[in-house]
Amino acid sequence: MKLKNTWRKTFGEQQRFMLMLIAPAVTLLILFQAVPIFVGGSASFRDWMLYNPKKTWVGFSQYASVLTDPAFLQIVLPNTFVFMFSSVAISLVIGLALALTLNRPFRGQKLVQTILLMPLMVAPVIAAIMVRWMFNDEFGIVNVVLEALGGEGQPWLVQRWSAFSVIVLTDVWLWTPWFTLLLLAGLQSLPKEPFEAAAIDGTTAWRVFRYLTLPMLRPVIIVCIVIRSIDAFRTFDTVWALTGGGPARETELLSIYAYENAFVFLDFAKGSAAAIIGALIILVVGLALYRILDHVRKMS
Amino acid sequence: MNTLQRRFFDFFAPGARRISFGLALSVVCFLFAFPVLWLILTSLRPQSGVYYVYRGLDFTLDSFAQVFANERLVRAFFNSSVIATAATIFSILVTVSSGYMLSRFRGPIASGWFGAIYALRCVPFVTWVLPLYFVEQRWGLYDSYLGLLLPHIAVHICFFSWLMKGFFDGIDPSMEQAALIDGCTRWGAFLRVAVPSAMPAISALAVLSWLFSWNEFLFALILTGQHTPVITVVMAQFVSEMGMQWNLMAATAVLALVPAFLLTLFGQKYVIRGLKI
Repeated sequence: MKLKNTWRKTFGEQQRFMLMLIAPAVTLLILFQAVPIFVGGSASFRDWMLYNPKKTWVGFSQYASVLTDPAFLQIVLPNTFVFMFSSVAISLVIGLALALTLNRPFRGQKLVQTILLMPLMVAPVIAAIMVRWMFNDEFGIVNVVLEALGGEGQPWLVQRWSAFSVIVLTDVWLWTPWFTLLLLAGLQSLPKEPFEAAAIDGTTAWRVFRYLTLPMLRPVIIVCIVIRSIDAFRTFDTVWALTGGGPARETELLSIYAYENAFVFLDFAKGSAAAIIGALIILVVGLALYRILDHVRKMS
Repeated sequence: MNTLQRRFFDFFAPGARRISFGLALSVVCFLFAFPVLWLILTSLRPQSGVYYVYRGLDFTLDSFAQVFANERLVRAFFNSSVIATAATIFSILVTVSSGYMLSRFRGPIASGWFGAIYALRCVPFVTWVLPLYFVEQRWGLYDSYLGLLLPHIAVHICFFSWLMKGFFDGIDPSMEQAALIDGCTRWGAFLRVAVPSAMPAISALAVLSWLFSWNEFLFALILTGQHTPVITVVMAQFVSEMGMQWNLMAATAVLALVPAFLLTLFGQKYVIRGLKI
């Protein structure tokens, strides 16, 4: 009763309504995101092997061991960033091209759209398994076709850069439709008049794209880039099912590195430290992207 | 290409541009569809036929029968569909109200909440799912339906609140204000006026949410053991356990694609209509 009174006194009628609206979401986020992040943060300062959880305080030594790990510096970090940039850039360009194509009517447009959006429904794990089968060095269709054309079959998944390219290719295949979908929705909600005016003036297609479509579509493009970059940074399943981080841990991304340390090498503290470092990096990147986003929102 | 060149081409090769456009588009479509087609083809091959280079015309449904005979796989399919459906229903219940709040109100509570969900969305999954393993063991939720379902809902909150905010921004609030003036409560205005007009967006979210949960892998890998296997994890384990039986792998994958495919096929128009951000 007393609690109810303070609750009524502290917040006005509208604020109570606002808090009630978000109450379930806030509760879930606290229990299942904030609490674990706190637990992980605390674990990253301790000595916590899964087979021997002493949980004694060791200060920053776990962070030091991650940051001086040559595998982390020379493989995991560059991999993660190269993966993020290449995957987002390639799927953005292809996705935009496809969205522009689908935006004008032609015969069979609906069918083409259905086919192009198909990868959206495919689980990354399934896509990875599929690609793994296609790039199998003995029986995979890619090598069979290559050899039939007179080329030489490659052991795609056992060399670092070819394995890495296959991973990027899979990710591009998976996420291009996502860009197409959002950009197509964006294109369809643009006003028609400027385009009609340009058509009357006989402007070339390239100039229409460069000076009309692109500037008007910019907010949507930036939202897409922000969301997708953050997601690409934390990719796990594609790599896990495709190469498992191999050959010899050379295609590991940050998530895989943290997971492996915690559950394969059973060093929960080091895994947590790596995961926290990842979170800090993406926080900085995310803040920068958020600034850009906010800037664009104010401009438009 | 300028107008003059275009006329030149159209004069000497009428329809050439249309044909090359069609050809290019067919090639792109083929490349996009090929992995799935190849998967379906592999799933229809008999065990021995998988490895021939020239694979002949032997087709069989045996692999599918074997998948259905495998108890663990059938359970995994069942679990995945239960989790995906429940996660969809609950995430929508939770995010519609949260997105509505973000869209209709200003002030410290709204902007604080917006900042919180943006920050939490940025946090890599692995950062909170690794320790969640211990948290759930402490709470006795590890390897239970609830223990997988609740994190699924939590992960949807951030992105979907953001999308829902966008949808509600596009809906004129004057109807709700009219309802309030007519003596409707705030809850009444929200539930009877705003929610019904957001139905297209809600169906779009339902489709996306179901797909995300059905396809999700990392949470399930860490948070489930023997009792609640889901299909993505079981499949990933298959690759290492029975590595060479590609026809079985393919059949399982195809079966996992079917519900997602049907949902995308029928839900596509809602998603495109609902996603105008």
